[in-house]
Amino acid sequence: MSLLSITDLSISFGGLKAVSGFNLELAQGRLQGLIGPNGAGKTTCFNLLTGVYAPTSGTIRLAGRTLNGLRPHQIAAAGLARTFQNIRLFPELTVLDNVRIGCHLRTRSTMAGALLRSPFHVREERAMVERCRGLLEVLNLADRADEQARNLPYGDQRRLEIARALATQPKVLLLDEPAAGMNTQEKKELRGLIRQILRDFGLTILLIEHDMGLVMDICEFITVLDHGVTISAGTPAHVQNDPKVVEAYLGAPAGAEEVA
Amino acid sequence: MSSQPVSVKGSGGAGGAPLRMLWPFALALAVAAFMHFVVGPNFNGTVVQVLLFAGINITLAVSLTMVNGFTGQFSIGHAGFMAVGGYVAGGLVYYLSARFFDSPQIAFHGGILSAGADYRPDPDHPLPLLSRGDLIMIGSCLAGGLVAAGAGYVVGLPTLRLRGDYLAIVTLGFGEIVRVIFQGTGPQVLFTKAQEMRDTPLHQLAWKLGGAQGFNFIPIYATLFWVFLLASITVAAALRLKYSSPGRAMISIREDEVAAQAMGVNVTRYKVRAFVLASFFAGLAGALAALSIGQMNASAYGFIKSFDFIIMIVLGGMGSISGAVLAATVLTILPEALRQFDSYRMIAYALLLIIIMILRPQGLFGIREVWELGPVRRLLARAGRGGSAA
Ligand SMILES: Nc1ncnc2c1ncn2[C@@H]1O[C@H](COP(=O)(O)OP(=O)(O)OP(=O)(O)O)[C@@H](O)[C@H]1O
Ligand SMILES: [Mg+2]
Repeated sequence: MSLLSITDLSISFGGLKAVSGFNLELAQGRLQGLIGPNGAGKTTCFNLLTGVYAPTSGTIRLAGRTLNGLRPHQIAAAGLARTFQNIRLFPELTVLDNVRIGCHLRTRSTMAGALLRSPFHVREERAMVERCRGLLEVLNLADRADEQARNLPYGDQRRLEIARALATQPKVLLLDEPAAGMNTQEKKELRGLIRQILRDFGLTILLIEHDMGLVMDICEFITVLDHGVTISAGTPAHVQNDPKVVEAYLGAPAGAEEVA
Repeated sequence: MSSQPVSVKGSGGAGGAPLRMLWPFALALAVAAFMHFVVGPNFNGTVVQVLLFAGINITLAVSLTMVNGFTGQFSIGHAGFMAVGGYVAGGLVYYLSARFFDSPQIAFHGGILSAGADYRPDPDHPLPLLSRGDLIMIGSCLAGGLVAAGAGYVVGLPTLRLRGDYLAIVTLGFGEIVRVIFQGTGPQVLFTKAQEMRDTPLHQLAWKLGGAQGFNFIPIYATLFWVFLLASITVAAALRLKYSSPGRAMISIREDEVAAQAMGVNVTRYKVRAFVLASFFAGLAGALAALSIGQMNASAYGFIKSFDFIIMIVLGGMGSISGAVLAATVLTILPEALRQFDSYRMIAYALLLIIIMILRPQGLFGIREVWELGPVRRLLARAGRGGSAA
């Protein structure tokens, strides 16, 4: 029984079928990849899953619960968190505050509690800081806690996005090109980091990534999109040798060349 | 894994809890008492009047910061909420005073805290600290704040669901509607007509707010004490909000609404909450404004007045509470100080704004507080203490 179950998901923008008939089953604890050339519809899939767009058709189920029709914050509360391809941090706020906002949806104290600094509120805020510092530790950002998010180097911003998403205590984490803009060393560290959070946080991850080395290395199963259509799905070895995938990436007739 | 709440551990120094909860209110009382008993008696009436307006404007600028500064929504109807609070409180104090104090005149019936700065104790007729008149006044002000908050809810709920700048348009319309409504009310029942005042049921009096003539002869209860009590409480509430999870949720909306939603922030809820809270404080400030000048005229509360408060928070830095306090103070006092150069006043004022906008487009402090600015922080650190707020 899979944790995240996507059936026949489709959306059109005007005449453009950005995603059509997308299916995906993701079991607890797994790490799957979602790849495809530019404009294939990968990010659009994430936007559908997180409620940014309403699908034209199809259903999304998380742990047996249908997510269709829920608003984005409700989907986050249900346990689906994401990072953004075009980094969307809270730029003026500190690194710590960015992560604390991720914690917000699991807090229980009220506005009145906050205004009166009720003992419960104070304890909750303290526990929150502790938890956030722990997350920053995991993502190698501990010494940057008080810096403004927009002043961080690119790689750090990407990791902060992950820390913030983890703060929402998700069941499933959607990573949209977490390695984009990172150098070789950072990518190598990221690889270890993704494995680590998968294990330590009991997570389930769906990963969009253009770096084939990274995807092929850490994913057990890969779905390939092209022009919104799933053209291949299977183990890294399988999709790598699928002529359709080769064609999609190289725009050449099947079997012309290997995928890099 | 766990979709449980942030785990909250059992103990955590709950010993000082009541103190921690209440000290800002004690501080607010101290500030208010200081202004009333120490500052007030040492200055003439003109200065006191300017200080009263400074306190009222601080309240309005700081409350507007919650909407425009925290959630990044653009309200240009803050004066409208002020008008609602002012009319409700002014009307209640005026007509209730007529009922409760069986005197032919609508006069002041307050205690020492509501006595103007020129009050000198009279041994033959000692004033109590608080009198029955003060209780009527406090109740009326709270009613004004609550009605303004209710108006904020009615305006905000449908508007703030929408993305974009609808709030600006709707609040602009709201301000004008408020003006038209109050200008359409019936003639004020003057205190010279004591009989009519007594015979008219309260709910009918509620509609006799003077119309286009304005509502006059409101007893003057607002003193430096009440004005600075309100201003201090507003500042404390805004600071506590800013440095807590609900406040950060509000600020995240302004920073990036899409990301805020994706992180689980119910953006509509927090926009509405910020707006309602801001309307409440604006209503209270409007109430005290009415009780300090003794009259209400709806035409004075249009969007031009709202722009005064927007300029204050833009100058102070959107989201900076200390910035809003400073800007409200300066922009209240400066025009008065320049009054003798009356013809140059508006020029100087405009030039100042332009210069600051060129040198610091993010406002004086941006989103940060005075004590969070680099130089100040280093100073505080050198003094051996980190500056953590509220
Ligand atoms: N809001 C929108 N309105 C109209 N068209 C859109 C919208 N969002 C995405 N598209 C289109 O849908 C297609 C898929 O875009 P998407 O961003 O999902 O691609 P992608 O696979 O993530 O590509 P990349 O690898 O470049 O990030 C593109 O043609 C894009 O222009
Ligand atoms: Mg994309």
